[in-house]
Amino acid sequence: MSVRAAGLGIGTEPPVDITELYAAHRLPLVRLAVLLVDDLASAEDVVQDAFAALARRPDAVKDPSKALAYLRVSVVNTARSALRRRRTARAYSPPHDLSPPSPEDTAVLAEEHREVIEALQQLAPRQREVLVLRYWSNLSEADIAQTLQISQGTVKSTASRALVALEKAMKATTSSGKGER
Amino acid sequence: MSTDMQPEVERRLRAALTARAELVQPEHLAPLAPTTAGRPRWQSPWVLLATAAAVLLVLGVVFQGLSRDPRSDDVAPRPDERVELELPTDIGRDWKTDEYTTPARLDLDGDGTREKVDFLGEPSKEFDGRTRLQTTLSSTGEEAYGIAELGTTIATSALPPVDADGDGDQELVLLRDEAYTGPEQGSYPLVFDLRDGLLVQAGVEDPELLVRGEVTVPGTETEFFEMVHVHDYWIEDGSLHSSRSVGTYASGNMTLFAPRASVVDAWTWELGDDGVLRHGDPGCLVKSRDSTRACGPDPADTPTSLPVERASYVGVGEQVTFGDDRTGFSARIEPGADPSLVVDGFGRVVEQALGVPEPQVGTTQPTSVFVDGASVVVTSASDPTVIQVLTQDDDRLVLMDPVGEIGLASSDDQRTWLTAYGAVLSAIDAGDDRWTLWQWMMVSRTEIAALPWGTVCFDDVDAPTSVRAC
Repeated sequence: MSVRAAGLGIGTEPPVDITELYAAHRLPLVRLAVLLVDDLASAEDVVQDAFAALARRPDAVKDPSKALAYLRVSVVNTARSALRRRRTARAYSPPHDLSPPSPEDTAVLAEEHREVIEALQQLAPRQREVLVLRYWSNLSEADIAQTLQISQGTVKSTASRALVALEKAMKATTSSGKGER
Repeated sequence: MSTDMQPEVERRLRAALTARAELVQPEHLAPLAPTTAGRPRWQSPWVLLATAAAVLLVLGVVFQGLSRDPRSDDVAPRPDERVELELPTDIGRDWKTDEYTTPARLDLDGDGTREKVDFLGEPSKEFDGRTRLQTTLSSTGEEAYGIAELGTTIATSALPPVDADGDGDQELVLLRDEAYTGPEQGSYPLVFDLRDGLLVQAGVEDPELLVRGEVTVPGTETEFFEMVHVHDYWIEDGSLHSSRSVGTYASGNMTLFAPRASVVDAWTWELGDDGVLRHGDPGCLVKSRDSTRACGPDPADTPTSLPVERASYVGVGEQVTFGDDRTGFSARIEPGADPSLVVDGFGRVVEQALGVPEPQVGTTQPTSVFVDGASVVVTSASDPTVIQVLTQDDDRLVLMDPVGEIGLASSDDQRTWLTAYGAVLSAIDAGDDRWTLWQWMMVSRTEIAALPWGTVCFDDVDAPTSVRAC
């Protein structure tokens, strides 16, 4: 592998230690990705992609303290691409999943949380991203703007509209759920 | 929604996100391996194979695909980048076709006789279920079928067939329209190839290049518009083509500020033996709404011809009439210490104090801003920096608040004017005798914002009809 020296440092040490980053941040990044792409396998792929991208350009992050922000941007962008690819590639989804459940599948989300997550999945990708970064990652509007490469004003308006859409979707989910029973 | 509900929604959202995220525990992740400079374990082909096998189990479908050669600088975990093909399951024999659906006719098996392909829609309340494609092959008399997700089961019909793999038979092309399925606009084609008696949907490498619609350039989103590439696809002489505008254009407020003709990168798509559509190297075309031609030397977009001639104005004591007796209105500036604007029309007489020295009102209604009632532009005969847009809201006139990326007022490096055709334009000095041209639009009942048209040059910016391409 070829690595470049960081900043004014001397020698061949990479700017960031990817192995250390991987160990420290993989789980929270997979959790972020799973909130964006819905399933664990895709989420792990997304995070692997993000680390791969960083590994290919180790000098992209000169300041190690910025590495997590870089990875977060990468995860959000890769998750969006994954959703787009999935939408394009899917031709058929089996009516019943007959495969054995994964360990993660066996942990069941409480009904009240499931309604919210299902409603969240119905939002536009940008709306979902803003809500996840704001209410799970607890990022400031400025940080969300930087992560999504949009203005703070757009973050604010997107969040506002997303909450309205989420509430509508939750009501629809609740009423359709009742209708099915 | 009531804003009173938002804290409750926020509380539930926060709790649900936390609960969902915490379902993922460290033991659920693929084992974390010791890192070596050469090949970390998470890159091992065995891990990839195991992952692929797990996905196979979950989906119960067959994958075929591509893998690329490992690169020496791959030191971090990589995903499996293969394009997946999914084989259809034999379901939906009892689904029904609707009266607006048209069967496709094409030669799927290459025997010179066209098959008739019927489309059966999966019943659902929203008519958004899957579609079964089924036919009887003329060469063998056997049935072939496939499953498609088209977004809707209503009025299914096929695009012209293609022979994307050049093997002499034809592939079925259907349209997936995102307008039916969610907030995203646009559409993309789905190509179905007859493979071992099944109509199998082709995978697509670089699917983002095989779409129709506007695709946002990341990082260009503003409050009221974003910059987009315009994508398109089409079928010509049995081949599938797609294009992406080289330039980017402002899109917002339900308006796309695209030129009359765009220079585009264009690709032709071919279907490989592995069932994956791939594009070749890009060519250069100039595309307009009704024509496509090859690029000449130094190709450039052809700008929309935008009439920029300035409107005229009347001053204090004068009156101007817009439209006809039934849908029109009149506007005049009443003399006085603080002259006011009086608008008479739509069954009301409305007066509005202006606070503008030597006010004058434009003789053209700013119809590009507002037409569902009276609207006028007011300037000052003595202060060239003043320009106001007022619109009628029942029995009052609203002084529109300019918001967004640029201000409304004229200055040394900005000109704002009402055109004789009802547009409010601003030109911002971009240096080197170039100006960016913006058009104002209503974005809320009390606000207007400008969207950029592009860069133009003027022989004399104060005589806008001297506008020309740079």
